[in-house]
Amino acid sequence: MTKGLLTTTVGSFPKPDYLTRARNQFSLGKIGREELAALERQATAEVIRLQEEIGLDILVHGEMERGDMVAYFAELLTESMAISGLVRSYGNRYYRKPIIIGKLRWQGPMTVEMWRYAQGLTDKPVKGMLTGPYTMVDWSFDEYYDSRREAVLDMAGVIHQEAMELEKAGARYIQVDEPAASTRPEEMALVSQGLAVVTEGLKAKTISHVCYGDFAKVFDQIVDLPVDQLDIEAANSDYDLLELFRRHPFDKEVALGVVDVHDHRLETVEEVKEGIRRGLEVLPLERLYIDPDCGLKTRTWEEAAAKLRVMVQAVREVKGELGLES
Amino acid sequence: MLTTVVGNYPKIPNRPRPARLRAAIARFERGEIGEDELRGVEDEVTIEVIEEQVEAGIDIVTDGQIRWEDDQTYFARRMDGFTIDGLIRYFDTNTYYRQPAVTGAVQWREPVTVEDYRFAAAHSSQPVKAPVTGPYTLAALSTSEHYSSFGELVLALARELRQEVLALERAGAPIIQVNEPAILKRKEDFPLLHQALGEMMEGVTAEAHLYTWFGDIEGLFPQVLELPFSAIGLDFVMGPANYEVLRRGRFTKKLGLGIIDARNTKLETVEQIVDRIQRVSDAVAPESLYVNPSCGLEYLPREVAQAKLARMAEGVRRAQEVLR
Repeated sequence: MTKGLLTTTVGSFPKPDYLTRARNQFSLGKIGREELAALERQATAEVIRLQEEIGLDILVHGEMERGDMVAYFAELLTESMAISGLVRSYGNRYYRKPIIIGKLRWQGPMTVEMWRYAQGLTDKPVKGMLTGPYTMVDWSFDEYYDSRREAVLDMAGVIHQEAMELEKAGARYIQVDEPAASTRPEEMALVSQGLAVVTEGLKAKTISHVCYGDFAKVFDQIVDLPVDQLDIEAANSDYDLLELFRRHPFDKEVALGVVDVHDHRLETVEEVKEGIRRGLEVLPLERLYIDPDCGLKTRTWEEAAAKLRVMVQAVREVKGELGLES
Repeated sequence: MLTTVVGNYPKIPNRPRPARLRAAIARFERGEIGEDELRGVEDEVTIEVIEEQVEAGIDIVTDGQIRWEDDQTYFARRMDGFTIDGLIRYFDTNTYYRQPAVTGAVQWREPVTVEDYRFAAAHSSQPVKAPVTGPYTLAALSTSEHYSSFGELVLALARELRQEVLALERAGAPIIQVNEPAILKRKEDFPLLHQALGEMMEGVTAEAHLYTWFGDIEGLFPQVLELPFSAIGLDFVMGPANYEVLRRGRFTKKLGLGIIDARNTKLETVEQIVDRIQRVSDAVAPESLYVNPSCGLEYLPREVAQAKLARMAEGVRRAQEVLR
C-alpha cells in the first residue's frame, strides 16, 4: 500500500482562555510555576485529543508552554541570554526581545519533558519542535559576539544538543523552524550552515518551516537546506511556489500549506482539494505532506479546528479519488 | 559638532514606570476613552521624551514621533489616494507596518505634522527637527494600482509632500528632515530620487536634511552631494562601507554621522565613539558633523535608548577635546 499525503500541522495551537489568563497571572506573580505547568499539561492534552479526533497523521504538542518561539528558549538559556525591556513589534503590540549576554551553551533539556508528556498521550508520532539558530540570533539583541556567524554557529550547537536529547527520548520527527531565514537573502548560506550543525548525525526525520519571504530569490539555497522536509506556506500566495518546484525539481519532502492561518475565512473542501491536486502535479504523493500555512496560534480554537477538519476532509477525498486507503 | 537623533523614540518605558501610551491606545480601541483623552496622553508622552532627549544631552531633538504608528501610514492615512492594507515587515527588521495601497490620485489635504511640530517646539528647550517621509520611500513601501509607473507615483508624491515641507517652513521649523532609506535598496533609481527631491524642495528656503539608514551610499557618491539638502545622514553601523566612501572625495555638505547602533542594546564605549568620529574627520570638518544614532531608536527598550544617547553625548564631548 502506497503511503502518502500524510497530514500534519506547523506547530503552534491557540491557547485556551484559561491558559492565557493563567499566563497573565503567573507573570504578575499571582500563581506559581507548578499551577501554570499543570494548566499547560491540561491544554496540551486537549490539543492532542483534538488532533486525534480530527484524524491528523503526525501530531504536534501545540506549544502551550511557549509564548514567543525565541524568548521561550532564551529564558531557559540563563547563563548566556537575558530578556530586554519592551520593544514595539507593530501597532500597539510590544514584546520583550532576548539579549545574548554570554557564550551560548546548552544547559539542559528545554523541550524534552513536554514532548514526552505529549507523546505519552497518543500512539501517533509527535514532532519535536525547535527554533532554528539563525532565527534565535536574528530575533535577539547581541551584546556578546562580534560576528553574527559566530553567534549563529554557537547557537546551532545548543539547538543540536537539544535535538539529540529529543531523539534520545524517542522523537521520530524533529522540526527546526527558521522563519527569519528569508529576511536577508545574502545570509542564506549562514542559515544553512547553522541547520547543518543542528541536524548532523540525527536519524529522526528533520523538517524546517520557512516563511514570510521572497522565496524566488533564495529558492536554490532553500531546497538545499540540510533537512529532510521543507514546510512551506502556499495557500496565502496562491501556490506560486509550485511553479518554482516544477521548473527546478529536487528530492526533498515538502509539507505544503493549504489553508491560510492569517485569514479568518474558512476554506471550502473543494478549494483545499484543488491546492492538494496542484501539489500532486509537481510532487509525488509519498513526498507530499499536507498542513496549514503556518502555526495556528493566531486563530481561535474553533477556527483552528474548523480549518483542520476541512483540510483532513479534502485529503480523504483526494485519496479516495486516487484509489488510496485513508 | 552637534548631537541629534534620527527620528522616532521608544513610546513606552519599562517597569516601574507605567506604559501610559500603550494603555491609552488599548482603552481607546475598546471605546473606553475618547480621542481627546488619547491625544492628551500623546501630548504628555511627547513632552516626556523631549525631556529625556534633552537630559541625555541632545542638541537638536525630535518629538519622538510618538503619534506615528510608522513612517508610512502617518502620511498615507492623512492624504487622499491611499487605503491601508495588512502587516508587512519593515526592511529586514522584526518590526511590521500596515502597507499603504495607492488606489487613487495621491493628494495632500492638510498639514500632517505641523501641529506636532508646533506642540513639540513649544515644549522643548532645544531646537526641534521635523521629520517627513520622503516620496521615494513612501512609494517603495506601498503598493500601487493607480499610477502607470512607479516613477509617476514617486513624482506625484513629491509634488504633494512639497506642501507639507512648505507648511513646516511656514510654521518655523528650523530643520526639516526628509527620510529616504529605501533608495539604498534600489540605487539604480537614484535619477528618479534626484528628480523627485528636486521638485519637492523647489523654492524651500528652510534648512533641510536628507537621512538614510540600513545601508551605504556606495555607488551614489558623489551624486548625493547634488541633492538639494544642506546635510546628508548616513548609517555607519549597517553601512560600514560609508567610511570608505568618504575617503574618496570631499564631502561638501554637513554629515549626519550615524555611529550609535540603534538596533542593538550593546552600549558603545566613549573610546569607540571618539574613534568613529575621528575616522571621518579628514573628510568632514567637526563643525559640519551632526552625531546621531544609526536610525530611529524604537528598536530599543526606552531606557537603553536614553542610555545610548547619553553615552553618545559624552563621546562627542570627548571627541571635541581630542580634535581641538
